[in-house]
Order: sequence, then structure tokens, then C-alpha cells
Amino acid sequence: MSKLVSRREFLNLLAATGGTAAALKAGAALGLLPGGATAATLDLLNLGASNRKVTILGSGLSGLTVAYELGKYGYDCTILEASHRCGGRIFTVRHGDLIDEIGNRQYCEFDDEPHMYFNAGAARIPSIHRNVLAYCKELGVELEVFINENKTSYVQDDNLLGGKAIRNIDYTTNMRGFMAELLAKSLTIEEMNAPFTVREAETLLGMIRSFGDLGEDDLYRGSFRAGYAAGGFLNHGVQKDMIAFRDLLKSQAGRGLMSANEGDTGPILLQAVGGMDKLIQGFTNHVGDRVKYRARVASVHVRDDGVEVAYDQDGVRHLIKADYCFNCIPTHIMTGIEHNFPADYVTAMKYVRRGTAYKAAFQAKERFWEQEDIYGGITWMNNPSQQIWYPSHGIHKAKGIVLASYDYGDGSYHTKMTQRARIEAHLKDGEKVHPNYRNLLEKPITIAWHRMNHMLGCSARWTRSRGGWTHDEEQMYHHLQSPVNGRHYFIGDQISMHSAWQESAVMSAQWALAHLDRRVRAELA
Amino acid sequence: MTRKTWFSLCLFFLLNGMSSFAAENEREPYDDRYCTSCHGTDGRGNEAVQAPRLAGMEPWYLQRQLENFRAGIRGAHPRDIEGIAMRAMAVKLSNRSIADIIEWVGSWETGPAEITIVGDASVGEILYGTCAACHGSNAEGNEAIAAPALAGQNDWYLITQLRNFMAGYRGTHPQDRYGAQMRTMVNGLGDVTGIIDVVSYINTLSGNQGSSRLIQN
Repeated sequence: MSKLVSRREFLNLLAATGGTAAALKAGAALGLLPGGATAATLDLLNLGASNRKVTILGSGLSGLTVAYELGKYGYDCTILEASHRCGGRIFTVRHGDLIDEIGNRQYCEFDDEPHMYFNAGAARIPSIHRNVLAYCKELGVELEVFINENKTSYVQDDNLLGGKAIRNIDYTTNMRGFMAELLAKSLTIEEMNAPFTVREAETLLGMIRSFGDLGEDDLYRGSFRAGYAAGGFLNHGVQKDMIAFRDLLKSQAGRGLMSANEGDTGPILLQAVGGMDKLIQGFTNHVGDRVKYRARVASVHVRDDGVEVAYDQDGVRHLIKADYCFNCIPTHIMTGIEHNFPADYVTAMKYVRRGTAYKAAFQAKERFWEQEDIYGGITWMNNPSQQIWYPSHGIHKAKGIVLASYDYGDGSYHTKMTQRARIEAHLKDGEKVHPNYRNLLEKPITIAWHRMNHMLGCSARWTRSRGGWTHDEEQMYHHLQSPVNGRHYFIGDQISMHSAWQESAVMSAQWALAHLDRRVRAELA
Repeated sequence: MTRKTWFSLCLFFLLNGMSSFAAENEREPYDDRYCTSCHGTDGRGNEAVQAPRLAGMEPWYLQRQLENFRAGIRGAHPRDIEGIAMRAMAVKLSNRSIADIIEWVGSWETGPAEITIVGDASVGEILYGTCAACHGSNAEGNEAIAAPALAGQNDWYLITQLRNFMAGYRGTHPQDRYGAQMRTMVNGLGDVTGIIDVVSYINTLSGNQGSSRLIQN
């Protein structure tokens, strides 16, 4: 029996190494990945001589998508934006920019150069996020490759080899070797013949050997894949020493490292040349004159014949009436705004929790990572700062902006600190990887999304259990996705089952637009 | 306060903010109108970010709390999650800013708070007997003995604060004289059930109500 169990485990492990298949299946189950190979094309009814007014609350990506699309078809849109800028959590920070964190207002002091920017929110576009990419193409947003996993970047864990930072490639090559050796040794060819044909079993074993670079005897003795200890070009290469399996297992680093290339962060990822907000600019080039800035929504009342929105701007309360309203205000802020939404809507709004993601960045006086063969990518650290990102752009220029921390799980650890303490924490964590880190960095910025004015949170969190979506959670999600009186739509990545991605924001907007279009067609028929 | 006064106040904040960066006049100006970001339209309170109702709060109580947050007498305990967030905001405030905020808050009017909890108000009424000595039989507060009004406040906020007092997340700072009094008194409520019951009774004094204005989908 035990052999059977180990075979099943083996198959599970094999599936894990081809993890994109699993991720795609999960994505399809969520109903998010489009079946076809192209982005959704909206073919809305052109209003012609008819008139329809639309109020859009918030100029995040979903709000701008709605304004841009409806503008094409003759709708009269007004966007109310509470802050001084468009884009919400698509926020590229450059020289002089205001980071409006409540209690920790900062101005960015980076050098004023095109490549000296930091994507404080959205930073990566997976190549399978077709709808965002389609807008990039349509709006002339130039793209370049974003480097996510980099084999020369580091892994640092105080539990691993006395805290010495090692290269990603040293960790992953050795870990794969030992994993493959275990797999190969756990199965004899006779055992494998039971579920498979001889040919299948040989194929499988061949893959396992290749995966881990095993010898003929199915033993792992190190690999040139981790690079050379010396030579390798004009002389014979000298193989690096193995890192003992037991040592590797003292660190949890593999959890992040071995899956860095899977799912949404699998290759290839892209970024907008010059900063992710170029996509926002692409939209505002068309609908920028529709935006009222520093206009804070005070109430939303859905009526039988339209939606009334009150907002404060320049110290005066205004009222705006429209036929329809699209709302990308975060649900946790909307609960504090007067409204007359139905009870099931309110229950769902209150259920969604706000993400606490946190990022920090410094200006580097020199691109020290390039002197260590690092061009882009992520260093993984087992400390609260968690990650260092080296910029994919500006290669070989004098300076660059380096991400010094990204806590996407629970950023409240740093959020609770003062600015001074946050900076010191990142320097202390990062100098375990780059010994001269402290002296090479300057002009820090931190972005605690939980406290950013007008947002008060990163991406929405719908699920509370490890098991994923419960029936009740799905019900609430569908309530919030459905319009009130056919006139008020919640939009944004918060109205998706895959929050924190630009694609989800765009798709939520497209869903709402298609829904509205059916209504308008019926009205005008 | 009239809308015009409010406008002048905003202008003050705006200019005040800008003057700090006179040399950087190309930079985005800011103002100090942060209160409603968390505390909701006209300071009505926002359960989703656990920010209490400010509208209707007595000026003297608001001032003392802002000063306590600023000085670290409140909001410094590592388990007081919302207090920590408020403290980060408050440490930036000058005496003048606090005075302006109090005036701004005084301009807000808002309807009854929504009832969000279910407890035994009849048990709560008995428990409230002790509270009434300071906070008044109608939970209207008593400035003379520095006891704030409880009526009208969000029920979920009262629960959080009573739990914080009970757990020592609030009221343990050596300079928090009134907080220390509350720490003693809150023990009389026994446990969380007692807290919910007494707040349920306070809801009956507040004119708080369920969401009756809701429309159907």
C-alpha cells in the first residue's frame, strides 16, 4: 500500500512542476479567463440622437474604462475623483509627486529622469491578461518585458547557511536535484510499469532525471546549471559545491521561489515603458476633460429614474443627477458614505475586507546589483521586508529605483511604524543581502495602501477561509456585482474573484457595460 | 457652520499646507481635510474601517482625545489597531489644526446611527445603572465630570472601546486619568456579553435604528 501512496504523491508532485496547468484550471473555474484567444470586444449600442447621462465615482482603471467606452457610444459621462490624481492603485511615483498617506504625507525626491520612477501599485501585466493588453495597444501604451524571476538574484534566510545570501540558481538547482533524486529512487521501473506502459515509464523517468540533472545512477551530485565555481569559457568549468539537502530544508524560501514562475506571475510579464500609469494617461488623453478632481462623494441615492450623487468640491456641496452610475469607490469607503442601497448590498459591502499590502522604494546612487550580474528580478528574504526588486528598465544607466519591500500578505507590520522606523527596517533587512546597501540608497518612499487617502486599503479580500470561496461569499459577490435598480453598478477589481489585477478591474467594467447595454437596447427598441 | 465658513476653513488648510512648501510651489498642494476619508460623510462613522462617528461628539471630548492621541496617551498600545492609525494622523496636528477640526466637526449633522448588534437591552439597562452616574441616565454625557455622551455613537465602536478598556489596550497609560477610571468601571460589565447588552441598551437611548430607508433591488 505504501508504494501506491508514494506513487500518487509522485504524480501530485509531477503535476506541481507543471503548475500552470493547475493555475489555468483554477482560473477557468473562476470564470475569469476568457475561452477565446482574444480580448473581449464591446459592441455597445450607439446612442445616436438619444441622451444618457452617466456619473462615474472614482477614476481607477475600471472607472476610466467605463468613461472611455461609453464616450465612444455617445454617453455623457462625468467622473468624480476624490483625490488630486487619476488611477487609484495604478500609481507611478516620480520626482515631486505627493504620496498622500494619512498621517505620513511624503513628496518623492527621486531624480527627475524618465527611468527614475516607482510603480507603487500595479507593476506587472501577465501576457494572458488580454483585456488590459488590448487597451495598451488601442491607446498606444508602449510595453516592455518585466523581469520577475531572476536566477542571479538572491535568497536570504537567517536559517539558511548562517544567513549568507545565496543566488536563486544555487537554491533552485540543488533543490530540484534532490527532489528529482528522491522521486527517481522512490520508484523502480517495475513499479512504474503497473500504471504505465514501459515507454511511458521510461519517458517519465527521463523527465525526472532531466528536471534535476541526475546522473545515470539517478543520484544528484551537483550541476553546472548553477553556474561555474571557476572557468567555463576559456578553460574547463569547475562545478560548484552542492548545498546539502538538509541545509536547504532549513529555509521555507522554496515556497515562494519554486512557484515564482507560476500562475499570474509566470513568464512573460510586461510593464508600461516609463511607468504603469501610462495606461491611465492613455485613457485620460480621451476622457481627462470629464474628470472633476478633489470631488469627494457625500451621498449616492438610487431612484427609480436615475441616480443622484452629492459631492463636496472647493468647500461646496454639489448635486449631480444621471441616468446611470458606475462606482469604483472601495466598498469599505462606500460604507461611510450616505446611500440608500438595499440590505443585501450593504451586507456584502461590509463583508469585504481591505487588503494591507505595503511597498517601499529607494533611489540607488549606483546600480550596484548590475555589478553582481543582476538585471531585473526579485530577491527573496525571510524577513518582514520580504522582497527586493531590481528595475527591469534603465539598464546600465547611472542610477535606478529599487523596491526595498513588498509585503502583499499583511503589510500592517510596517504600516504601524513611523516613516523613520520603516526605512531603518528595510535598510537593516536589505543589508543582509547587499552589505553596502545602506550607503548606496537614498531618498526613500513608502506606500502603506491601508492608509492611502481615499483608498484606505489595497485589493479587496473576499475569502476568509483557506478553502477558498464559500457559497455565502459567492452569493454576496453576485449581489454586489448586480446593479441596484438597473442603475447603479459597483465596479473595480473588488467586483471580481481575482482581485489585485488590472485585468480584473477592466473585466468588471466590461461586464457592467455589457449589462447596461442590454438594458439600454431594450429601452430604445 | 455655514458652507461659506467651511470653504474659508478649507482655504486656510490649503494655504497653510502650501506655505510649508513655498520653495516647491510646483508641487501638488494638500489640505488637512482627512477626517471624512475614514470617518465618513459629515463624520457619520464608518464600520468598515472602524472609524467612529464624529458628528455630535462634544468639542471638549474631541479635543481631549485628539490631544491624547497626539501625546501617545491613547493609540500607543500595540493591540489598539485603530488607535495606532489615528495616532499617526494626530501627531501631525498643531493646536490650531485641532481647534479648526473641532469647529469643522461642529458643523456636521447626521441622522441616527444604524443598529448593528443584538443584545439583551433589559439586562443592559440594569448594567447601565452604574454607567449612568457619570454618563447620564440618557447617556447624554456630563462635561463637569469629563464623561462623554454615549448616545448617538456607533454601537460597534462602543463595543470595541469597552473591550479595549477591559483588555487594557486603552486606559493603561499612566497619564490617562479618565481612562483609568473607565478601566475600573468596565469590570462591572463582566464579559463581552455584558458589553453587548449594555450597548444594546444605549442604542435604545440613542434613537439609533435599523436601516429602514433601503430600497429593493
